[in-house]
Amino acid sequence: MSYRAIRAMRGLAIYAILSVFAVVMLFPFLVMVFTSLKTASDTFSYPPRLLPGEHVTIEMPGFERPLPLYNITAESGETKQMALVEENIRVGVFAPLDPAGRPNFNRTVIRRFGEVKLAGGAEGKQIVIDGQTAPVYEVESDGQIAEMIVLTRTTVGQFINPANPSETVLANVRLSQPVMRVAAHPENYAEVVNLLGFDRALTNTAMITLLTVIGQIFTSVLGGYAFARLKFPGRDQIFLLYLGTIMVPFVVLIIPLYQLMVAIGWVNAMPALILPWLYTAYGTFLMRQFFITIPKEIEEAALIDGASRWSILTRIFIPASVPALATLATFTFLYAWNSFFWPLVVVNTGNTRAQVLTLALNVLRGRASDSPNLILAGAAIAVIPPTLVFILAQRYYVESVTSSGVKG
Amino acid sequence: MTRSTFASASSAPGSGRALTLLAGWHVALSVALVGGALATLNSAAASEALRIAAAIGLALAASGSAAATLFIARRNHLGRTLSLVVNYIVFLACLIGLAHTLGVFMGLDDLADYMARGFPFGMGALFVVGYFISTTALHERPVSLARRNLGRVLMALGAIGFLLTAGVVPALASLPGKYISGNLLPLALTAGVMTTGYLLWSMWRGESARAMGAKNIHTERLNGWLFLSPNLLGFILFFAGPLLFSLYVSFTNWDSFNKRDWVGLDNYRRVFNLTVQALKTANQPAGDVIDVRVYDELLRANLFGQSYLIGAEDKRFWISLRNTLVFGLLAVPLAVIPALALAALLNSRLPGMRFYRTLYFIPSVAAVVGVALIWQWMYNSQVGWINYFITNAISLINSVLGSNIKDPQIRWLADSDYALLSVVIMSAWQWLGFNTVLFLAGLQTIPRELYEAATVDGANPGQQFFNVTLPMLAPTTLYVLTTTTIQALQVFDQVFIVSNGTGGPGTSTLTMTLNLYQNGFQSFRQGYASALAWVLFVVIFAFTLFQFRRQRRASGAYDM
Amino acid sequence: MKTKYSLIGLLTAAGVSLAACAAPTAQPAQPAQPSEPAATQAAAPVEISLRWRTRPDNKEEADVYAKISDEVAQKLGVKLTYEPGGSETSSYQDVLRTELAAGTAPDVFWIPGTDIADFVQRGLLLDLRPYANATPGYSDSNYYPEPMFHLTYNPETGKPGEVLWGLPRDVSTFVLYLNMDLINEAGAPDPRELAKEGKWDWAAFKSTAEKVNALGGDIKGYGMNAWWGPYGAFMNAAGGGFFNAERNACNLNSKASLEGLAFARGLYDAGIAVPYGEDSEPPFRAGKVGMFQNGRWATPGISTVTFNWDVVELPKGPSGHMGNWLFWGAYVVNKNTKHPEIAWKLVDALTQADVQAQVAARGTNIPSRVGESVFAEFLKILPDKNNQAFLNGLADKPTAEGPLWTGSWPDFDQVMGAKVSDVLTGKLSVEEFGKTVCDEAGKAFKQ
Repeated sequence: MSYRAIRAMRGLAIYAILSVFAVVMLFPFLVMVFTSLKTASDTFSYPPRLLPGEHVTIEMPGFERPLPLYNITAESGETKQMALVEENIRVGVFAPLDPAGRPNFNRTVIRRFGEVKLAGGAEGKQIVIDGQTAPVYEVESDGQIAEMIVLTRTTVGQFINPANPSETVLANVRLSQPVMRVAAHPENYAEVVNLLGFDRALTNTAMITLLTVIGQIFTSVLGGYAFARLKFPGRDQIFLLYLGTIMVPFVVLIIPLYQLMVAIGWVNAMPALILPWLYTAYGTFLMRQFFITIPKEIEEAALIDGASRWSILTRIFIPASVPALATLATFTFLYAWNSFFWPLVVVNTGNTRAQVLTLALNVLRGRASDSPNLILAGAAIAVIPPTLVFILAQRYYVESVTSSGVKG
Repeated sequence: MTRSTFASASSAPGSGRALTLLAGWHVALSVALVGGALATLNSAAASEALRIAAAIGLALAASGSAAATLFIARRNHLGRTLSLVVNYIVFLACLIGLAHTLGVFMGLDDLADYMARGFPFGMGALFVVGYFISTTALHERPVSLARRNLGRVLMALGAIGFLLTAGVVPALASLPGKYISGNLLPLALTAGVMTTGYLLWSMWRGESARAMGAKNIHTERLNGWLFLSPNLLGFILFFAGPLLFSLYVSFTNWDSFNKRDWVGLDNYRRVFNLTVQALKTANQPAGDVIDVRVYDELLRANLFGQSYLIGAEDKRFWISLRNTLVFGLLAVPLAVIPALALAALLNSRLPGMRFYRTLYFIPSVAAVVGVALIWQWMYNSQVGWINYFITNAISLINSVLGSNIKDPQIRWLADSDYALLSVVIMSAWQWLGFNTVLFLAGLQTIPRELYEAATVDGANPGQQFFNVTLPMLAPTTLYVLTTTTIQALQVFDQVFIVSNGTGGPGTSTLTMTLNLYQNGFQSFRQGYASALAWVLFVVIFAFTLFQFRRQRRASGAYDM
Repeated sequence: MKTKYSLIGLLTAAGVSLAACAAPTAQPAQPAQPSEPAATQAAAPVEISLRWRTRPDNKEEADVYAKISDEVAQKLGVKLTYEPGGSETSSYQDVLRTELAAGTAPDVFWIPGTDIADFVQRGLLLDLRPYANATPGYSDSNYYPEPMFHLTYNPETGKPGEVLWGLPRDVSTFVLYLNMDLINEAGAPDPRELAKEGKWDWAAFKSTAEKVNALGGDIKGYGMNAWWGPYGAFMNAAGGGFFNAERNACNLNSKASLEGLAFARGLYDAGIAVPYGEDSEPPFRAGKVGMFQNGRWATPGISTVTFNWDVVELPKGPSGHMGNWLFWGAYVVNKNTKHPEIAWKLVDALTQADVQAQVAARGTNIPSRVGESVFAEFLKILPDKNNQAFLNGLADKPTAEGPLWTGSWPDFDQVMGAKVSDVLTGKLSVEEFGKTVCDEAGKAFKQ
C-alpha cells in the first residue's frame, strides 16, 4: 500500500472514531429534543423510536370515529394494514380432540363464545383430562363441526381490511404493530410554560444571570487590575489568600451563607441568588493573569500624561482584554444559569416569584412524572439557551479554557 | 471623573479649613463608634459571639478614626489614609444600609416582575442595536453622520423605554413616601452617605493631598485598596466571614430553630466514631459484640481467618464517604482517559477538527439538572434507549458469534448495584468534552520538533506517546485530574435528581454532599452538617495535595 | 463620546436600581398584567392578607385550590394568596421547614400526617383549640378519628383530645388499579367479583398477578412504588406493622411483619412484579402492568389511559384484614402568624364539606369528613368506577399514617427504607433483615 493510501486510511479511521464519539455526545440531546415533541403515550413505546409519531387512523363508512390502523399478519402469512373495529372481545382458544381424547395443540382456533355451543345437548358433555374435567364444545372449523375443548380464555380485537370490509381477522390488539406516522407536538412547550410558570422562571434566570455576569466582571476587573498593576501593602498576601480559596468547596459555605440570608431576610428572594456571587476568586485571578501580560510602557506613558487609574483601566486595559472578559462572562453565565444546589437551599419551590429554571425543572419532574415529553421539553428550555451562548462565544471560551489549563 | 477634575474644583473650602473639619469629624466619629460598640456589647439582639465580633469591629474603626485625628493634626500622610479608609467604610455601610432599608435589594424581585413582561429586554436590545448602528463596531468604514444620529436616537429611545418599562416611574414615586413614613433610619443613613461622601471627596482632592504630603506611591496604594474594595467586600461578607462562621457552627448543635449550644468536638467525634470488634463466627449477630444502641453495623471483614465487625455511630457518613470515593475512582478515569485519546485524535490537524471540538464541548455547558433528566429517561429499564442498545448489541453478537450471552436487562437507576455506576457514566459523559479541549490545548503546545527528533531516533508512535507526549503534557494532566477530582468529590445535582434527594435505591447514591444536604436541610442538624462540610473539605484538600505531590515528584517543582 | 456612553450607562444602572426600589408600594399584583397606578393601591384600606399553601398533584388541582382560595377570601373578607408548593418529589416539607426557619413561611399550610410531630415539637405550629372551641358547630368527631388522634395529641401530657394542631385536608387509602384488558386477555378471574364474594385474598391476588405475567414480554402482573406505604400494607395485612401498639418501639422484626415482607419479596423473586425501585406508574399507564397499588391521588392521571381500568380493594392478608393505610395530611397554622383568628377561620373553611367536595370532584382524594352524605357524594365521582373499594379500605381497620411522638419518623423511615429495599431487590434475606433492622431503626426512638 502506498504512503498516501495509508494516510487516507488513517484519516478515515480518525474521522470514524471521532464521529462515533460525536454521536455519543449528541445522542442524549437528540433524545431530549425529539421526545419533547412526542405525545405522552408515544414516549412509552418499545422499541423506542427517536422521531415523534402518532397512530394513523382511517375514516370508514359506517363507523362514527376514525379507526386506528395496524399491521396485521393474516393466516396466509401476508401482512396487511387493517383497521381495528372492536376491542376486548372475549374469546376462547379451542383445541380439537384427537381420537384418543387428547387435545391437539397444533390445530387450535380462536372463536367467540357466542359462536360455539356446548356439545351433548342440555346436560352437556364433559371429558376428564389429567384429572380435570373440561366441558366439550362444538366448534365449526374449516367448514366442519368438531368437538373441541377450551385451552385458555383471552380477549382479542376484530380488524377489517379497509379495502375489502368483508375480510375480518381476530387478533391480539396489544401485540399488533400500530401503523405510525411522524408528527411533532410543539404544543408541549406551551403546556410546560403554562404548567409551572416556566416563563417567569426563564425571566428570573435570565435576569439573575445578567446581573451576576455584570457584577462579577465589575469586581473582577477592578480587583484584577489592583492585583496586577497597583502596589499596595498586603497585596501579595491577599492574593495568596484568594488563590487558596479557589480550593474551598462551596458546600462548606452553604450553611453559613443560608443563615446569613435568613438574617438579612433574603430567603426566597432574588438578591440571595445574585449578591453572594458577585465576588469570585477565580474571575479575579483570571483577569489579573490577563492584565499582567499587557505591556507596562503604555500605562506609564498614560500616567505621565496625567490620566487617572480609572481612565487607564477603562481606556487601555478593558479594550485590550475582550477575550478574557468574554471568557469570564461565559463562565459566569454558564455557572449562574445552571446552578441548582444554592437555589434549592435558599429559594423555595412554592415561590414562583423567585423561581429559577433548574428549580422549576425539579418541580416539573415531580408534577409531570408520567409525561416524559413535558419533562424533557422543560429540560430543553433550560439546556438550549446556554448551548447557544456557548456556540456564539466558543472561540473565546474554548481558547481560554485552554490557556487556563496550560497555565494552571 | 479624572484626577484633574478633582483638582480643578476650586470652589471647595481651603485645605486648612477642610482638614480641621475632618479632624473634628473624626473625633466625633470615634466617640460615636465607641458608644456604638458599648451599646452592641450590652444589647441582647444577637448571639454573644456575634455581638463581641461586632463590638471589636466598631472599636477598631473607632481607634482608626481617633488615630486619623492625630495624624491629620501632624499632617502625616497616614492620617489621610486612615481618614479615607474609615470614612469609606462608614460610607459603604451607610450606602448598603440605605439600599437595604429602601428595599433596593428586595426590589430585584419587583424588577423581575417588570422584566417578565418582556418589554425591558426588548428595549435593552434596541439600545444595543442603536449602539452598533452608531459605532463602527461591526464595520471597518467610518459611519455616516445620518447613521450615527439614527443610532443615537435608537439608543436614547431604548434607554428611556427601558427605564419606563422597568418601572422607574412608580419607583421614583414611591421613594419620597419612604422618607416621610416616620422611620428616621433612611434619613439618617442618607445623611451619613452624604456626609462621608463629602468628606471623602474633600480628603481625596488634590489640595488636601498636597497639604498632607501625598506622593505618587501613596496615591497608588490608595488606588489599589479602592479598586480592590468591591472584591474584598464580597470576599469578607460572602466568603471569609461565612467560612469562619461555618467552623463555629460545626462546634454547635444548631438546629436552625431554637437550639444552639456549644458542643465542642462532639460533632466530629460522632462523624468518626468507629468500633472494631473480633467475631467468634463470621455471622455472629452484631448485638453480641457492639453496643447497638450507639453503633450500627457498617461491615464485616475477614482478616487472616479472623472475622471482624466494624460498627459506626453515623453509618450514613461512612457509606457516603465510600460512595463518593467509588464515584471519584470510577468517574475520574472515565472522564480523563478517553479525553486524552480524543484529544490526540483531534490533534491530527485534519480539516473539521474544530467542529468536533465544539460538539464534544456541548454537554459540559448544559445544566446538570437537565442532563440528569435526559439520562434518567434513557436509563429507563423498560423503554429506555440504553437497554435497547444493549439488547440489540447482544443479539447481534449472539447471531454473529453464535454465542449465548443473556441479555442482562440492567435496571440502571433502580438497582442499588448499578445506580452509582449510572451516575458515573452520566457524569463522565458530561465532563469528557471539557477535558478533551484542555488536553488538546496542552498537546498543541508541544513542539513538533520533539516528535521529529523522536522519529529520527527510531521511536514508534507508542514510545513517542509515553516518552514525549505524556511528560510534556504533565501540567495539563495535573490540572485536568485536579479539577475533575474536585468536581467528582462534590457531586450533588446528578444524584439529587436521579434519587429524588434520597440517595437511593437503598443508600447506593448517597454522596457526601447529599448526606450533608439531608442532615442540614432535611433534618436541620445544621451543626452536624457543618462538621460534615469540613470533613468533605479535608478529603478534597487531601486528594488535591496528593495529586500535586505526585506531580512534583514526577516532574520536579510545579510552578503555579 | 465615551463619557457620554458611560453616562447613559450609569443613568440606566441608576434607573434599574431605582426601579428596584419600588419594592412594596408599587408591587404589581399580577406580573402578567400592566401595573396599576401606585396611588390606587396606596389609597386602599389596610387589609388583612394571608398566605396559604398546599401541595397539588397536578395543574388542574392547583387551579381548583386557587378557585377555592378566591371563594374563601370573599367569604372571610380578607385577601388570600394561594401558593401551590412543590410536588412530592420536590421536597415540599424540607422547603417548608427552611421557610419556617427563615420566617418566610405562609400563615396556613398543609403538611403530611407523618410530619405533624416534628413540626409540633420544634414549636412551629399554633394550638387551635381555643379558636375551635369558640366556633359553633365544630366537633373533632366530624373527621376520621385516626388522624384526629394525632392532630389533638399533646406531647407534654401524652394524651389526645387536649389540643388541636390542625384539621385534615383529606384522606386516602390504597387500592389496586386494574388493567382489565390485560386481566381479561390473561383469562384471569375478575378481582372485583372475587372481592365481592370475599375470595380476594393473598393467594387469589398472587394467582391473578401470575396469570397476567404469563402473557410474557414486558408485561408484569403487579407493580408498587418504592416507599413505606406499599410494603407497610403487606406487613399490616399479615398482622404486623412498623411500630408496637404504643408507637414507641420498632416492630419490624415481629413474626407477622416479617411474614408480610416475605410475601412481598416472593412477588419480586417470582419476577411477577415491576422491579422494586422502578416507578410502576409509567408502565402501568403504558398498559404493561396488570395491577398497580396506589392511592386515590393516582386516579386523575390513570383516568386518561386508553385501556379499561378499574380499582379493587387490597387483598386480605393472613390477619383477615387488608392492612390498608389511612393516609392524611392536615392544614396547620404557622405559630408566627399575625392573624391567628383569621388563620383558624381559613383552616375551618378549607375543611368544610362543600370545599372538600370540590377538591374530591377532581378525583384526587377523599373527603376527611365522615358521614353517610359525604360517602354518598364521594361515590358519585367517576360513577362507572368501583369507588366503594376506597371506602372499603377505609372501613377495614386501616392503620393511620402517623408521626412518631416519641421519636423521629424520618430517621426511622431512612433506615427502614434502605433495608427493605435491600430485601425486595434480593440483596438481604428476610431473616437477616429481622435480626438487624430494629437495632438500627430503634435508634429513631428517644431513649
